[in-house]
Amino acid sequence: MEKVAIIAQTKEGQLSDASNQLISFLSTFSPKRILLLAIGEVKFSSLPSSLPVEVIQVSDGLWADSATIQPLMKLVDGFTVFGIKSIQVDNLLSLLAASSSQEMISGIQHITFSNGKFTITKSIFSGKASLALTTETASYFSLNRNFDFSNNEELKNQPIVPTSTTGPSTGSNATIISLKPITGAIPLPDAALVVGAGRGLKDPGNWAIVEDLAKALGAATACSKPVSDLNWRPHHEHVGQTGVKISPNLYIACGISGAIQHLAGVNGSRIVVVINNDPEAPFFKHADYGIVGDVNEILPRLTKKLQTH
Amino acid sequence: MKILVCISCVPDTTSKIVIDPSTSQISSQGLTFIVGPYDDYALSRAIELKESNGAEVIVLHVGGSESEALIRKCLALGADSAVRVDGNPTSSSQIATAIISYVKQNPVDLILMGKESIDYNSGIVHGLVAGALGYTHFNPVMHLDIEGDRLKLEVEMDGGKMEVSCSLPAVLGCQEPIAEWKIPSMRGIMTARTKEIVVLPLESASQINIIKADIAETARKNKMIMAEDAEQLIDLLRTETNVL
Ligand SMILES: Cc1cc2nc3c(=O)[nH]c(=O)nc-3n(C[C@H](O)[C@H](O)[C@H](O)COP(=O)(O)OP(=O)(O)OC[C@H]3O[C@@H](n4cnc5c(N)ncnc54)[C@H](O)[C@@H]3O)c2cc1C
Ligand SMILES: Nc1ncnc2c1ncn2[C@@H]1O[C@H](COP(=O)(O)O)[C@@H](O)[C@H]1O
Repeated sequence: MEKVAIIAQTKEGQLSDASNQLISFLSTFSPKRILLLAIGEVKFSSLPSSLPVEVIQVSDGLWADSATIQPLMKLVDGFTVFGIKSIQVDNLLSLLAASSSQEMISGIQHITFSNGKFTITKSIFSGKASLALTTETASYFSLNRNFDFSNNEELKNQPIVPTSTTGPSTGSNATIISLKPITGAIPLPDAALVVGAGRGLKDPGNWAIVEDLAKALGAATACSKPVSDLNWRPHHEHVGQTGVKISPNLYIACGISGAIQHLAGVNGSRIVVVINNDPEAPFFKHADYGIVGDVNEILPRLTKKLQTH
Repeated sequence: MKILVCISCVPDTTSKIVIDPSTSQISSQGLTFIVGPYDDYALSRAIELKESNGAEVIVLHVGGSESEALIRKCLALGADSAVRVDGNPTSSSQIATAIISYVKQNPVDLILMGKESIDYNSGIVHGLVAGALGYTHFNPVMHLDIEGDRLKLEVEMDGGKMEVSCSLPAVLGCQEPIAEWKIPSMRGIMTARTKEIVVLPLESASQINIIKADIAETARKNKMIMAEDAEQLIDLLRTETNVL
């Protein structure tokens, strides 16, 4: 693999920790060129890598068809392309792969390369199982957010080589009518800490105790499906099989029974805390720490403890 | 308008997944199969559009004959006809190639899929199909309306949502609340019996070699804390784990 490329979004001009780690990780393949397509502003001037990374700044926009992605296709032609799973990164990687008749593999937990062959572990069934596979042809790869970079070597920051900027080519068949960013709150898929709540909260008016705890922790809030179906909470907060899949360092589940479809969205969490007043709630079997108790009583106490100590 | 809905047939969400030791692959014994939940949303919206705007709805599945009962259920829900590309695909690209080759011979205006299959969780078949056909692609789509010859969509983005308008043809990955899941009516079940399921051969090959499947065991600590000592949780999170 002589030429590797990374597609990553920036936030306030910076790459996510995982994208930085991915750049270091790709150095293990001893590439001769590393190209970063950074979607959004670029405010960094160096990256941890074995060789200087060429950076192309890509404007955010509607990258929604093979006509608009033409400029990107030219840039990554001949490269093996990687990204960390997100809505935009996976959409772009799959469009680019197919437009250039390449194979793509997503959901990657582990990947090695030798003698022209990739050996990959792909997570399936929402993390309940995995597949070991090999490929010699695929050249587009999406790594899961909880990909284990702990064996990464510490690499020195190298100054980046800014090359060019690009945007979607005109002639798209799609136009944006309105953008509704989620403001104020921490976006759920990126959050390192998450407090989730379910039907056990009984009423949307009771969410203050969940929000207070989340605020004291600096955590994002999540909910179970019935809670968003009942319109107690916005749809984008619903985690599980049919909602968002999260893999935070800490997930605190409050008044959630632990149905298998809910677990499917939170299995990837490193530490799971369950607070439920029913000692038989199935979620306790999947908890690191469990408290049998009433959310109305326990949550404010945890918040207070965090605020005072 | 012709709408193609691509469905995956997957183990029921409550299935316990086990490995067959003789093949090192996931055993399909004792599993109940369902139409992928997101694909079910896509199909439900297609049927609503057929009822409100008039459309022909075709269901396509790439897989073995064991899926025919589920395909029949889609017909009972209101799809007009179905296509099964017969085989056992092992990669997203192989499935995408089968869909692309069908569409090249049988053009459609709109292709609806789920945002992801719940077995392989790749979330890319729609992007691969759109990229190869040069169609407009959006995923995951939460609202879909037809306005004249354009689509009006609400699409989830990383950190928000957007409303977009696009022309046809398009490929969309769907998720709730795009539609409500539907239950087939008695009349639907009766008429489905006479609807056609065309079987085509799977011609695309997989370039991926699957070596084996494994069950992921996440060991949890399972420590219980008494309600009266709830505050201890914060100390334990600080000392036993480094999450805080
Ligand atoms: C195909 C399919 C897909 C699905 N996808 C999802 C999904 O993506 N995400 C999802 O979440 N669900 C999903 N579901 C629904 C899932 O099966 C469960 O119905 C749902 O997760 C239950 O939500 P809940 O735990 O909030 O509610 P409940 O099951 O009603 O549980 C409420 C819990 O709160 C506890 N409780 C009550 N009062 C208190 C109190 N005062 N203090 C503490 N605890 C209290 C109760 O003991 C109970 O355990 C799906 C279902 C299907 C069929
Ligand atoms: N075997 C299949 N046959 C037809 N469509 C499929 C098949 N597998 C997946 N799809 C469609 O592609 C979508 C995304 O699947 P995936 O990329 O596997 O997550 C699914 O929601 C289905 O709509």
